[in-house]
This record gives sequence, structure tokens and C-alpha cells, in this order.
Amino acid sequence: QQHGEQREKPLYLCSPFVEAALVKGNFKTIVVQPKYVDLTEWVAVNIFDFYQNINLFYGVVAEFCTLHSCPTMSAGANLDYTWIDSSRRQVKLPAPTYIDYVMTWVQNLLDDDNVFPTKAGRDFPTNFAQTVRHVYRQLLRIFAHIYHAHYHQILHLRSEPHFNSLFAHYLSFGAQYELFDIKDVKGTPTALVGIGDLWEKWKEMGILEQQ
Amino acid sequence: MSRTTPTIEQQQSKRGSDYVYFERTAAGMSDDAVPRAKTAQAKLEHFYTVSVQAAVERNQRRVELERKLQADVMMTEERKQRQLAQLGRRESTFLRLRRTKLGLDDFRTVKVIGKGAFGEVRLVQKIDTGKIYAMKTLQKSEMLKKEQLAHVRAERDVLAESNSAWVVQLFYSFQDSSYLYLIMEFLPGGDLMSMLIKYDTFSEDVTRFYMAECVLAIEAVHNLGFIHRDIKPDNILIDKDGHIKLSDFGLSTGFHKQHDSSYYQRLMDSANGVVSPTSAAQAGRNSVMVNAIHLTMSKQETIATWKANRRKLAYSTVGTPDYIAPEIFLQQGYGKECDWWSLGAIMFECLVGYPPFCSPTTHETYVKILDWRQHLIFPEDVHLSRESEDMIRRLMTSADERLPVEKIKVHPFFDGVDWNTIRDIEAPFVPHLRSITDTSYFPTEDLENVPEQPAGADTTGAKDLAFLGYTFKRFQVTSHAF
Ligand SMILES: Nc1ncnc2c1ncn2[C@@H]1O[C@H](COP(=O)(O)OP(=O)(O)OP(=O)(O)O)[C@@H](O)[C@H]1O
Repeated sequence: QQHGEQREKPLYLCSPFVEAALVKGNFKTIVVQPKYVDLTEWVAVNIFDFYQNINLFYGVVAEFCTLHSCPTMSAGANLDYTWIDSSRRQVKLPAPTYIDYVMTWVQNLLDDDNVFPTKAGRDFPTNFAQTVRHVYRQLLRIFAHIYHAHYHQILHLRSEPHFNSLFAHYLSFGAQYELFDIKDVKGTPTALVGIGDLWEKWKEMGILEQQ
Repeated sequence: MSRTTPTIEQQQSKRGSDYVYFERTAAGMSDDAVPRAKTAQAKLEHFYTVSVQAAVERNQRRVELERKLQADVMMTEERKQRQLAQLGRRESTFLRLRRTKLGLDDFRTVKVIGKGAFGEVRLVQKIDTGKIYAMKTLQKSEMLKKEQLAHVRAERDVLAESNSAWVVQLFYSFQDSSYLYLIMEFLPGGDLMSMLIKYDTFSEDVTRFYMAECVLAIEAVHNLGFIHRDIKPDNILIDKDGHIKLSDFGLSTGFHKQHDSSYYQRLMDSANGVVSPTSAAQAGRNSVMVNAIHLTMSKQETIATWKANRRKLAYSTVGTPDYIAPEIFLQQGYGKECDWWSLGAIMFECLVGYPPFCSPTTHETYVKILDWRQHLIFPEDVHLSRESEDMIRRLMTSADERLPVEKIKVHPFFDGVDWNTIRDIEAPFVPHLRSITDTSYFPTEDLENVPEQPAGADTTGAKDLAFLGYTFKRFQVTSHAF
């Protein structure tokens, strides 16, 4: 951990921040697939909205996420995400670069009518579910990085009720449609993801459903 | 890592051991940081408000249909299932629309049907669905106060929610660097200006019908919290059944030259004989021209010229001031009463054949409006009933004496009008339409020099989210095209 000799509890796990929320109540209301509505269409519009909203909040902390402050895409004390480069090598990238890659990649997918069709009568591609899982897990990493590296700035900007709710909604949605694996949220024993504890804590508190 | 260590004080006694005090400060952040965070917060709040509302409404639609189907003992189970599936498809389409970005190339022009101050109106077809719309193009550079765009969008958002039968529905809007595009419902019956050009005058009964509908439409606009400010026959559109709707507002107004206060000031000054140094040369020329026309034109000729030029006036950037209330020129503020003045002027025109202050030049019109007490003259050769003249005089009077809507509705002129059902009764003129793209009620020959395709900006391919932010959510339960 950055400050103190001891492993201090991260701020996002501390009261009153851990319970700060813009949206109160059960996320199921806005997560569950509406009856008779096409599942793919429902997932697609939600991913679309999540992307816009994450973009919005990354925009809030982006000025603090620099090559200097975040030379790696960190998400835990011993965890730096790696990016697979064009020659299939795992490379460490500075967080702003990594996030820029992810956001550009997702934006291009959303704009691609072959992947996220918008024209009337055009169907979703057969591998849409895989694409969505892939997108979901990359965006999850952005949340993980912001919680790990920029939460105090979120606090300075009084945005924690909003950011928490966005993330809780994101987790709730991901759980409902099985868009992530446990290890995506919790990491591995040697490389824990910071938000893993938050996930557990929110389940304990009833903010998120127990699996 | 340059992380500022927050000041943390732990008060383990009262609160839980987890409780942390965090001193918040924006010190060391850019000037944009706080406003940016505030914007993000507001947007997210809005997003969740709308999401919850959408979920509730979607649920209502479903439950309503399920209940209706359950109560129907005649319908086969299979048909019920089909109806439910259909609802699901409509809801799904609606969700897809939320992700849809639209650009000029998603529409095909069928015909140019109108021209306004800032651009044209085209009958268009959305290429993928085949649906018909009216597309209004607004040239941004022509709009005087660009900073009003944001404000306009906010107004449009509210308008988009209105769903009033009296206001033209807006479905999408998008923009490129030069133009703003509005995709609206297409009203095939043309507008009241074209009708007046065609029929010259209306009978009192026909006038009563249009005025009564206008009263309800203006009232609806006021109830939405807007002042139209620019009600004129060109903005009163006729739907396929012959009933009226007010065309889009909140957009054009405010941009118009006539609404620019410095323009008024110059106008007032020149009316009062004050000549500002910058406009001296121009004003000099103008006044010569004014006199020249005055000397050679009789009242009859003036009216004839005005009528002949009516369409051109509608197409000009200055627009026609004929229907604008005097207080708007006085820059002392105005309220929704100004719309009732405009209605009075339109009613005058419906019965008399020309608006009360029509003049060879717009400048003279302004002067007459400001001095309306002298110039509001009912011609002797046109017979008006007492009630009609009184109605007009109670609308075209000083703002503080103008009748409010409740009093207008019970004025003797409107005797016999059933305000609750008027939109359901048969209209005096019902358009005869041969197809959904019939444009015979529009002066399309006059518009032949207008390019079929809007010019568009150089940035081809750039698309905008089809909806106005998150607010604009138009859910069509039934198909809007016929
Ligand atoms: N939704 C519509 N359906 C059919 N015709 C329309 C529609 N909107 C506008 N028109 C036609 O186009 C003409 C010009 O439109 P409009 O009056 O909205 O433009 P404008 O003059 O720029 O508006 P304003 O100056 O009042 O803002 C109208 O008089 C009408 O004939």
C-alpha cells in the first residue's frame, strides 16, 4: 500500500464511503431482463450505457491518471494488468495508455454495425455473447484501477455516491448475465484485486445480492 | 506515485472502527476538475432517474396489455401470444434506437416541402425502415447566438417529452459541424399560410374552428412552460385529418434577427428619429425607399403586393413581423400574453384577408405595430360580426388588458365550441391524400431551386446519437405514419 508501513484499509472499504450510494434499493429493478424483450438487445443497450457512464467518470479522474502517477495498470498491491500486444506478448502499459486502448476498442465495437447492429432488421453476430464478456471484463479493470489508484480523488470531488452506485450496478448486471468469473473480481491469492473486498463487503451489506 | 495522503482522523469511540474522516479539498486540481465532476454527477443522476422511470413505464405497458388480453375471452391464445411478442419487439426496437446514431445518409429526400429562416424542410424517408418524416435543417452559422444551442437543446428535451396532440412531435435530432437536423412527424396538410394564400379569407365558422384549435394549442404550449413568441400562419400546420399542430418552437425564436435586442434598439431609434452613426448611411437609404413606395402605392396595391410576396417573406431570414406583439419590441420583458396578440393578428387575417399592419416594408410594419392604437383599422368593405371584431380587439390590445385563456374560451365569438372534443370532430378542410408521400399541399414548385439533398458538412460519416441526451425517449405505441 502506498501510505504507511502497514497495510491500511483502503478508503473505499471504510465508513462512510463504503455505504455511500446515489441509488438506493435493489438493482434488480433495472437489471432484470424485461419480459418479452429480446435479451441481446437488453444486454447491448446496457453495455452501451455503462460505457458512456464509465467514460464520464474516467473523465473526472483522467487528469490524475498520468504516465507519471500510474506507470502501470494497477488494481491491487501486487497486481498490474497486462495488455496483449499485436505479437501476442503480454506487456505492461501505463494506466492511461491501457485505458485509452480499452475505451477506443470498445467505442469502435459500439460503432460497428456488424458487432452492435443498429439498423432495422439487422441481427447480432453469433459471437456477440463472447464479445460482451470480453468488453465487460476490460471495463471492469478500469473500475478496478480507479478504485485502487484514484478513489481519494473521487472523494475529493465528492463523487463517491455516484461512482459507487455505478459500480454496484455494473457488478449486479455482470452477475445477472454471468459476464465475469470470480477471479476477474477477486484476482488470485498472489495478485488480489482491490475491488474483490469491496464486492464481498457489498454482498455482506446487502447492497449486492449474495450469489 | 504522487498520491496526496489524506488527513485521516479516526474516531473509534462513537462510530465503528471503520469510520474515517476525510478532509476534502480541490486544491491542486485543475479548474475544470470540480465542474467536470459536477457534470458527471448530474448526468448520472439523470441517467438513473430516467432508467427507473423507463423500467416503470415499460412495466406498465406490459401489465396493461396482459390485463387487456386476459379480459378478452374471444381472442385465441395464439393471437394473444403474438400480441405479447409484438410488444416485446417494439420495446426491443426502442432499446435499439437508444444506441442508434443517425446521420444525413440514413435519410433519403423525397421532396423539398418548405423553407424557413434558417434552412429548409424536406419530406424524407428513413432508409432502413421506410418510414416518412419531415426533416428540418437549421444552419448553425445563421443562428445569431450560438451559445443558445445548449439552452435550445434543453428546451427541446422538455418538448420531446410533451407528447401533446397540439405540438408537432420530434423524433430525432442530430447535427454536424454546419447544420442541426430535426426529424419530426410529417404533417401532410400543409400550413395555414398556404391555406390563406389559397382561400384568401375564411368564413366566421371556419375561422372559429382554426382559432379554437389554436387557443388549445397555445394553451398546451403555455402549460409546458413555454412562450411560443413566433406564432404565425406558417407555424400552424395541418395534419392528415385537417386538424392543426404548432410547429416546432424554442428553436427558431431567440435566434431571429427580430428578437435580437440591439436590432430592436436600432429600430426604435430610427422610428424615433435617432440615427446611430454606424447605421446612418443605411438608414438614409432605407427611408428614401420607404417614401418612394409610399407615394406610389395605394392601400389595395399594398395588400396585393404583400400577398404576392407572402411566401418570399416567409423564406427570408428577417421573417415577417406582422404577428409579433408590440411589447416584444419594447424590451421591457414580456409574458405568454404575447402569443394571444399573435392569435388576434392571425384571426384578423383569416377574416379580412391580410394581417392588420401589413405594409410595403417590414420597417413600416414595425412602426405600425408600435403605434397599433392608430393603425389597427377594420376595413369598411369587409363585414365582421360584432363578436369577431370584439374578440380581435381583446387580443390585440395592450398586454395588461389582453384576455387570459379562460376568458378567451368563454368569449361570445367561441359560443358553441366544445373545447373538449374539437380535435375529434371533422375539420372544415380535410386534405385529400393519395399516398403517405403526397406533397400536393406544399408549394413544391416554388422550391425547385432548393437542392434535393441538404448540403451537409464536410465531415461525412460523422454521426450523432439519435436522441437528445438521455431525455429524449419517444416511445411509439402505435405507428405514427398513417
Ligand atoms: N413537420 C412538418 N410537416 C410538414 N410540413 C412542415 C413541417 N414542419 C415545417 N413544415 C413546412 O415547412 C415550412 C417552414 O417550416 P417552419 O415554419 O418550421 O420553418 P421556419 O420558418 O424556419 O420556422 P421558424 O422561422 O418559425 O422557426 C412550414 O411553413 C411548413 O409548410
